[in-house]
Amino acid sequence: MDDQKSAETQGATADTAGNGTPLVKMVGIEKWFGKVCALRNINFHVGHGEVVGLVGDNGAGKSTLIKVLSGFHLADKGDIYFEGNMIHYSSPKDAKRLGIETVYQEQALAPHVSISRNVFMGREPTKALGFMNRKMMDEESMGAITRLGLRIKDPEAPVEALSGGQRQGVAIARVLYFKAKLVILDEPTIALSVKESQQVLDFTQQLRAQGISVIFITHNIFHVFQVATRFFILSHGEALTDVKKEDTNIDHLIELIVSGRKEKA
Amino acid sequence: MQRFFNRFFSFRASFTLLVFIALLILFGITSADHSFFKSANLTALARLAPDLGIVSLGVGMLMIAGRFDLSVASTVPVSSFVFTKLLGWGTPLLLCMIITFCSGVLIGYLNGLLVTKTKLPSFIVTLGTMLFWRGLVYAASRMMPIGIRAWLEFGSWIEKMLIGSIGGVLPVQILWFLLFAIVLGIILHFHKFGNWVFVTGDNETAAQAMGINTDGVIITCYVIVGFLCSFMGMMQNIRIESFAANQGVGIELKAIASAVVGGTALTGGIGSIPGIFLGTLTIQIIENGLILMGAPPFGISAFIGGAIIIFAVLNVAAARVSGR
Repeated sequence: MDDQKSAETQGATADTAGNGTPLVKMVGIEKWFGKVCALRNINFHVGHGEVVGLVGDNGAGKSTLIKVLSGFHLADKGDIYFEGNMIHYSSPKDAKRLGIETVYQEQALAPHVSISRNVFMGREPTKALGFMNRKMMDEESMGAITRLGLRIKDPEAPVEALSGGQRQGVAIARVLYFKAKLVILDEPTIALSVKESQQVLDFTQQLRAQGISVIFITHNIFHVFQVATRFFILSHGEALTDVKKEDTNIDHLIELIVSGRKEKA
Repeated sequence: MQRFFNRFFSFRASFTLLVFIALLILFGITSADHSFFKSANLTALARLAPDLGIVSLGVGMLMIAGRFDLSVASTVPVSSFVFTKLLGWGTPLLLCMIITFCSGVLIGYLNGLLVTKTKLPSFIVTLGTMLFWRGLVYAASRMMPIGIRAWLEFGSWIEKMLIGSIGGVLPVQILWFLLFAIVLGIILHFHKFGNWVFVTGDNETAAQAMGINTDGVIITCYVIVGFLCSFMGMMQNIRIESFAANQGVGIELKAIASAVVGGTALTGGIGSIPGIFLGTLTIQIIENGLILMGAPPFGISAFIGGAIIIFAVLNVAAARVSGR
């Protein structure tokens, strides 16, 4: 059954990828923490310009999968391909270099530091001798934020002064500016109001409109149903389903998540 | 105008600036015979205030990175002791100075290494190193002062450099304080390293996720503190013409107080060099002004303590006003 499943996934790959190979492909990923199996034979891919909803309950393995993809964990088994080339991570920096950027909830920003300094945190554009080019930082950060469809006036304002949705916007603007090819949003709506969540969904659409692929991690299918083009559901380290939006509906997905059992082939 | 006010209040040291000016006026009027503004008093302030000030700049910057250093209280006498011993051995002056700096830098580096590797609260780690170095320096000196006049002739270049005065009225100490403030201010507020200091103190996880070597940032800050302490230890040593075992006693908390009065947050990520500069001057003019007003000198710390609490409250209020 597993073989059959992976064959299906391979088939789907060829379909979704506009120009042949998918952006990212993870094949046969396994990850153990001691005697606990966090991921079991996961085949996962993201095509160009796709928004993949990665859904599962707490402890389903979503974070582990993403940490393997972004180089924080090494997989015990399996291969990762980026644009068709097999990759071997030695540090999370390798993933960034490829254009894989993760936006972590509430962990991405320094609240008392200005918006522009947050956007360029660790990658400050400099003039001579390492002094920051603050004019450029202000202009470019505002540019990226505007491209997301977010309106903020003052690049010097501390992030603390922004709403939750706007903060996510700043964090996403950062990866947009640094030319990410794949943006991983880790539970971006978890602490947000309904209105702010909608704002984050709009950002996701904007990313997609600019040709950037997105993995949208959530344990709430309702948050992601609107924007995702495909759903990948995990439970206890195993893939329950990998289905395109047009081939499913929300009731079916909820049923799968609740039952926690794989689809019958 | 609205914008100007917002900017002004978002500068967390704004209250400190207002209070600083108010205190200048207050002490100017109320001190007997307006002695506060007499040149003798101002010169004395300019000579003595930098002792605490120079150390506070480093301690405050480290606090912005989210760490404390209590061991400054011992780095100062260790440096002073090293300098004195080197002089006694007839070491060339330049070499004395360089090795003294090295001792401060080394202590700072060890602090940084201990704090980042053990991942323990810096308050505890540097409390330990403070007691450790203090004990060593007490043992080595048997707590006896050691005069330096036998080995250092009057008017040597190092004396002119560290405790001389310009035109006979302007002590160079205040110029050194100003110079360190300007250099550190430029680094902290305009250099990318400064941005790393802020984000390390504000959200270390985020800083690491963005590829910033936060351990490196923290260690560098400790090294800067160590350097400044050895500078101050040497400066004080030459001023009082000796090593004294009680050099630096109490400075660790006074330096933290200066930084807090200047708007630095105890939790890291917030602060400014102009603020710390003003904060340390404020503490010193309160001390000085109160004595001139006839406050009992031995009870001075009661006033300082009260002032620190008032400033901490005011700074939080300022942050709330600007937070909108």
